[in-house]
Amino acid sequence: MNNMQQQFLEAGTLMLAGMVFVFVFLSILIIFINTVLAKLAIKFPDPVVVPSSRTNKKSNSQVAGKVSPAIVSAISGAVKRYRAQHGQAK
Amino acid sequence: MDSLYTLWLSTGLANFELGQVIMMVVGCGLLYLAIARNFEPLLLLPMGFGAILTNIPVAGFSEAGGLLHYIYYAGIDTGIFPLIIFMGVGAMTDFSALIGNPKTLLLGAAAQFGIFATLFGAIALNYVPGIEFTLKDASAIAIIGGADGPTAIFLASKLAPELLGAIAVAAYSYMALVPIIQPPIMRALTTDKERKIEMAQLRPVTKIEKIIFPLGVLLMTIFFLPSATPLVGMFCLGNLMRESGVVDRLSSTAQNELINITTIFLGLGVGSKLSSEAFLNVETLGILGLGAVAFSIGTASGVLMAKLMNKFSKVPINPLIGAAGVSAVPMAARVANKVGLEANPHNFLLMHAMGPNVAGVLGSAVAAGILLALVGT
Repeated sequence: MNNMQQQFLEAGTLMLAGMVFVFVFLSILIIFINTVLAKLAIKFPDPVVVPSSRTNKKSNSQVAGKVSPAIVSAISGAVKRYRAQHGQAK
Repeated sequence: MDSLYTLWLSTGLANFELGQVIMMVVGCGLLYLAIARNFEPLLLLPMGFGAILTNIPVAGFSEAGGLLHYIYYAGIDTGIFPLIIFMGVGAMTDFSALIGNPKTLLLGAAAQFGIFATLFGAIALNYVPGIEFTLKDASAIAIIGGADGPTAIFLASKLAPELLGAIAVAAYSYMALVPIIQPPIMRALTTDKERKIEMAQLRPVTKIEKIIFPLGVLLMTIFFLPSATPLVGMFCLGNLMRESGVVDRLSSTAQNELINITTIFLGLGVGSKLSSEAFLNVETLGILGLGAVAFSIGTASGVLMAKLMNKFSKVPINPLIGAAGVSAVPMAARVANKVGLEANPHNFLLMHAMGPNVAGVLGSAVAAGILLALVGT
């Protein structure tokens, strides 16, 4: 019986120590994310991915028939280059 | 005539013991769950087959010289297989949801209460005649509440190898039962209004954050809990391979071929522990029972913690995502999403629930490290 009490006591200590430790550990991780990672995110934003995905989304959500100026300029640039190359080849 | 008799003695029929037959039926039961019910088939199928192989009389699969014997000692006794799987899981895990909403780490922490509360339960079962769990056994059983197969197998192989078969069966069966066990608990602990809460969109997470995150987690584990570094280290390696973007081949191998090969051997190795002597006793029943309790308490404490956070937080938090704090990735997150959709058809909680879900993986690895550090010596 005494042995059982001892075991319960040990299990209780383990539970308390374990839960406190898990919370402390993951709380430090929260602080790490909120300070270090958040700062890094501001200092080194994703240069290529973010703007390109934004323009993509914009163009996708465009109403049919109305093309965004970015796309118009891209297409006209490509056509110009193609014509220039085509002309050279001739 | 003599040679005929010798031939008869070498047949399976002459050598079958009742226990072996029962364990083969158990193996077939696992195969049934895997094939017909689609319960964690990737693991339960090789495990069930391993259980059949290991109980074949005369063949000696699990004795020195037998295939399963070597698979077990090479991969599970050493802890290598669960760790390789953990690397693959790391390579499959996207931490964006967690980094975007770091508070959800607290939900992953709260759900680990299931583990530590079950420790009590396991010790209390010592009152039942025929059951005698030491603190090591109790810790290995309690980790079932972490709902993380590789972690449970890793810890059981270190603390209570003789209970490994029962613990692995319980862990994977309950993980498969997450969609049945969790929803009633989630509904009982939340109001309809709470289940309808819609959450704010997560902030975008940059690539550099995702690369530094596994390194930071590893550094913290090195500082505070070196006993968890085998699990956390392999997990972070897999995740770094994924997020760095420079070793796509390795990342793809870790999350496909390597994890698949290892799963076959892990299943067989665990199945080899399903021998009649080790499995057919009251303790197994106790372990199966405690596993269910551990899962339920973990779910409940995650939901309650989320309710508490919702009370004090400026941004609303749907308590349902707390249930995803028990790992079981991604099943638990899907369950949270499904229960949320039932209450509010426009409420998609999946991404929000992935935060506590992956936090739960970290939480149970940390809990395993604590148990190893305190009980494993």
